[in-house]
Amino acid sequence: MNTTTTALEPLFTLLSQSYTTLETTFSKIPGSAVVARYVRSSHQNDPGRTLLEVILILFAIRTLLQSRTRADNSGKHFIKFDEKEVDELVDEWTPEPLGAPLDEREQAEIDNSPVIVGPVGPKPKLSNGKTVTNLASYNFTGLAGNETIKERSIDALVKYGLGSCGPPGFYGTQDVHMQLEKDIADFLGTEAAIIYAQAFSTISSVIPAFCKRGDIIIADRGVNFAIQKGLQISRSTIRWYDHNDLKSLEQVLESTEKERRKKKGPLTRRFIVTEGIFDHDGAMSDLPKLVELKQKYKYRLILDESVSFGSIGRTGRGLTELYNVPASQVDMLVGSLANGLTACGGFCAGSHIVVNHQRINGTSFVFSAAMPPLLSVAASEGINILRSTPSILSTLQENIRAIRSILDRVDCIAIPAHPASPMIHLYVRLPSPTHLLPSAALASPALSSASGRLSNPSSPHPRDPEIFDCDLEDGILQDIVDEVLAQGVMVTRAKRLRGQELTEVRPSIRLAATSALSKKDCEKAASVVKTAFIKVVGRHRK
Amino acid sequence: MAIQSASPTPSMFRKKSTPVLNTAASYLSAVSEADARARAPRGTPNSTPALSLSSSVTSSSEDTVLHEREELNSDGLAYPKVPPTSEQVFTTVHAEFGHCANDSYRFTSRYNPARPLKAGEQDPPYYILLTTYISYILVILFGHLRDFFGKRFKATDYRHLLAHGGYAALNSDFDSFYTRRLKLRIDDCFSHPVTGVPGRTIVLLDRYSPNHNKSILLTGGKTRGLNVSSYNYLGFAQSKGACADASAESIRRYGISACGSRREGGTSDLHIQAEALVARFLGMEDSLISSMGFATNSTVIPALVSKGCLVISDELNHASIRFGVRLSGANVRMFKHNDVKSLEALLREVISQGQPKTHRPWKKILVIVEGLYSMEGTLVELPAIMELKKKYKFYLFIDEAHSIGAIGPHGRGVCDYYDVNPRDVDILMGTFTKSFGAAGGYIAGNRSLIDRIRLSGHAGAYAEAMAPPILTQVVASMASIMGVTLPRLDKPTSSTRSLLTRHSDSTLNVIAEEAPAWRGTALAAWLPTWMPTPQSMCDGSDSQMRLRRLAFNARYLNRALRKLGFITYGSADSPVVPLLLFHPGKMAVFSRLMRTRPTPIVVVVVAYPATSLVTSRVRFCLSASHTKEDIDTILVACDEIGDLLDLKQGVGERWPLQEIMARAVELVHMEES
Ligand SMILES: Cc1ncc(COP(=O)(O)O)c(C=O)c1O
Repeated sequence: MNTTTTALEPLFTLLSQSYTTLETTFSKIPGSAVVARYVRSSHQNDPGRTLLEVILILFAIRTLLQSRTRADNSGKHFIKFDEKEVDELVDEWTPEPLGAPLDEREQAEIDNSPVIVGPVGPKPKLSNGKTVTNLASYNFTGLAGNETIKERSIDALVKYGLGSCGPPGFYGTQDVHMQLEKDIADFLGTEAAIIYAQAFSTISSVIPAFCKRGDIIIADRGVNFAIQKGLQISRSTIRWYDHNDLKSLEQVLESTEKERRKKKGPLTRRFIVTEGIFDHDGAMSDLPKLVELKQKYKYRLILDESVSFGSIGRTGRGLTELYNVPASQVDMLVGSLANGLTACGGFCAGSHIVVNHQRINGTSFVFSAAMPPLLSVAASEGINILRSTPSILSTLQENIRAIRSILDRVDCIAIPAHPASPMIHLYVRLPSPTHLLPSAALASPALSSASGRLSNPSSPHPRDPEIFDCDLEDGILQDIVDEVLAQGVMVTRAKRLRGQELTEVRPSIRLAATSALSKKDCEKAASVVKTAFIKVVGRHRK
Repeated sequence: MAIQSASPTPSMFRKKSTPVLNTAASYLSAVSEADARARAPRGTPNSTPALSLSSSVTSSSEDTVLHEREELNSDGLAYPKVPPTSEQVFTTVHAEFGHCANDSYRFTSRYNPARPLKAGEQDPPYYILLTTYISYILVILFGHLRDFFGKRFKATDYRHLLAHGGYAALNSDFDSFYTRRLKLRIDDCFSHPVTGVPGRTIVLLDRYSPNHNKSILLTGGKTRGLNVSSYNYLGFAQSKGACADASAESIRRYGISACGSRREGGTSDLHIQAEALVARFLGMEDSLISSMGFATNSTVIPALVSKGCLVISDELNHASIRFGVRLSGANVRMFKHNDVKSLEALLREVISQGQPKTHRPWKKILVIVEGLYSMEGTLVELPAIMELKKKYKFYLFIDEAHSIGAIGPHGRGVCDYYDVNPRDVDILMGTFTKSFGAAGGYIAGNRSLIDRIRLSGHAGAYAEAMAPPILTQVVASMASIMGVTLPRLDKPTSSTRSLLTRHSDSTLNVIAEEAPAWRGTALAAWLPTWMPTPQSMCDGSDSQMRLRRLAFNARYLNRALRKLGFITYGSADSPVVPLLLFHPGKMAVFSRLMRTRPTPIVVVVVAYPATSLVTSRVRFCLSASHTKEDIDTILVACDEIGDLLDLKQGVGERWPLQEIMARAVELVHMEES
């Protein structure tokens, strides 16, 4: 070992010498610094784009010389076969079926999904002919079926036709789209806003538009599926903090900062990604503290307000209104037009720079047709109504309180949602010892950090994951849903893609409060839910 | 880039005091009355009572007509240059859907096996390529020079591109170089805001830039132009007519929103009906509708393939496909655009080699192609791929975003065009944004597969369901393409019921037996009972007219441009016609010259990164709503501008413009030379 090192030493010195001479000569060439910087920064940002100018020249040479380089298969792992062997291998190969067949439970799930006949609203009619009280549909503000919105939409239909027939870049941008963007920006108090055609596809395009390879994202462990997909596409370095635990966030911020200082890496873009009201459990972020932290550590904040926009705050402007934080302090404020405004689509509000950047780099904005004009008009009108009718939001809050007052202190129900959240998740609390654990963890979310043991920031899984039996709880909850439906109230289990979420989400029934129901109806419906919980869990105990 | 309204309108939808003609019927009778009167005083359209009547029609719907310009109508955009004769009754608004009664301007889009599939792509002369490279190099150099000096002398302009205050730039000067230094120069050709129906014509909101496109402001004026940019293949972008009436009715009945995801209470009877209709339209067992075309790909592909699977993708596949594949975690390999040989070679390699390193066999191989490539105009070589499929046992996914409705004698896409049984294809995907004038997309396949996607696709659990008016537009336009069989076979309520409880298989079989074969008509029982079904929709005359006009227009423009000497790409049956410009600089000039002609023509120009670096192009998207005169208008414009910009670099026989226009029908029917 030692001898080889000494033997090779002259070679090493020669190599390093020639390297330094090369480097110095290179730096003497005029403009070389620019080139070097180019290569460096491109490597960090997007290796594909680096090569563009190089390719430009290579391409020119190639076309001129017409020497077609063929991709040869001389990789290290390449095995040479002759034609006959390939044919045999082809014959032998049998693929798996394209879609795995459904098992019984899955088939039942499909067959038993409720179908609404006619309009959605607080009291829709189902395909079995029954009229039910609706605590399943996202109609927080009760705008579904609003006559003014319908009228405006029909006016828009008569003026614009239905589809926009083109992506925004190619004559798909209608004046009503610009109007809606302006309305959203004015409503929230940001410089600008951009609309996407589908709420779900919004944030998964917003995140990769800004976050590239090498950038740092610090995300909540409980973020929704769309954000998870955005993070996956971005290829950034991701650090996780415990769900809705800003102490944990601060620790991760601190450790990431330390790590960076140690490595002396270049300054990269850094983001905190979280939700206003979490889709997974209805918990609410402490926005002022978040803003304080992001300013302290110089991060940018991407806040998903899909649930909270149009449902929280005096007039439904969301968390920024509730906490009285200027929306301009949230760098990218993403929201849904489908939930709070009962239209369709999503938006991202922010500065002109943030918004204009997405007009070229937001994948699902650039490569998809613009939203149908009449839906933009419906959303604009929805904002108008919210602005001028604060009573909608106060009624909503009253209804939430009415529901919570009945469900909050039931033994077999645990509610992780914030008391003001219109989206109310109900966990089933079973009295067996293993299942006491998760609900105990629930009572004090800061348990893990309090005990001094930290989760690993590189892993999406927390140190002390909740323990629950997915299939068991799902089964119980579905029985409850069926029981509740039999009593004339429609609720739904929160549907999750088991196995596709980063961490398993605890099964829950998701209620969506609405201002369109009277307080009495809400209380009645909540009582039905409560009775069903007690009945089904009781049955289960036996 | 900021687009600001110079004079913001306080409310766009003030209720007008003039009575609104709400139904298509009343509007259309008014139009044909106006037409009838216009016929009498030919030649003096300016001062006639006819005009005042037609403007009273239009004032109730200011959408379709611009007051200022249309008084003259010298360009024939708002009203036909030649008024209709007394026998001709047109039920459409000319500005939305052109009036064309000449039955010889019709063609059928169908594959002719005797014809070579590849129309032989032409390469430009070398000097064109060379100058194209040089012009790129020049702009890049200038860009760097300007950046170099700009950073030193105008530091504030660069602040947001450089790290400051402890924040790295959101979009560094390097990242944004192409946007700032190349695209910005021609930003006036992109993202032009419009208003009104994107039909045969479109109304541009005029804009100007005081500072070389740094900010672009609206002037408040409007210009109507001939629209060859919108994906409106069958001309269903209409604010008047059966589809619009149906959608309006559905807003009245259903409201705007489905209020939730499909699996969390967002499913309505309309969804079930629409999915059943889509499946029959395509000749598949079942289908699933999603509220965005892009999301159809990006949320379904991960439900089909995962780690250990291989996706073989055409190199020019759409961004949504790439997005979905990336999310799926499957391996990806690309093959040369539309090159079956390259596909076969790749298949042989990947099947024999297996997974990288481990050499384990692939779990499954999914080949993803598009039916019609929207930037190239090329049609997938389906028959050859079907042959390969038999041998190599891969699964086939065809994205028919642009081909569905637009291709094939019955408008059923590439399977129809090539006469391939759709059930031999595993997955058909398509969007409603194009031919159907709606929004969203579908995925179709066999029942258990679609049910699997319902459960495992991202959209079912998390994305908002499609809105009722959009669903209705889909159903109405699709029924219109299929034709509707009246009378209703059984009591409408019971048929709806049987669709709704489709899991009890017996009822479905009953419907399946009733159903005519693939490419047949729709049964009235499949449609919502309240949906108006006018005569022209039922007897299929409307759809035949649309399909055959589109096929004629597509072939006419394709052939004519070649005969003029231009280099175009793609199949002659493709309604997407890319005309090669090569130079980046010519793009902007072409677009501006077209836009500022006496009859403005609105075109799309595309360049890198949507195309390869040297093949900048202008893309025409034809529609059934265009008339032969409209195509002539485009040809005249292209001819002039082509001479000016030295674009006629193609080889082959050339005809003079006048001859092309005179022998249009012959040209369309001519076999490939
Ligand atoms: C091939 C292809 N797939 C999918 C899409 C996306 O469809 P949509 O615009 O409806 O989102 C497009 C649209 O441009 C497309 O060309």
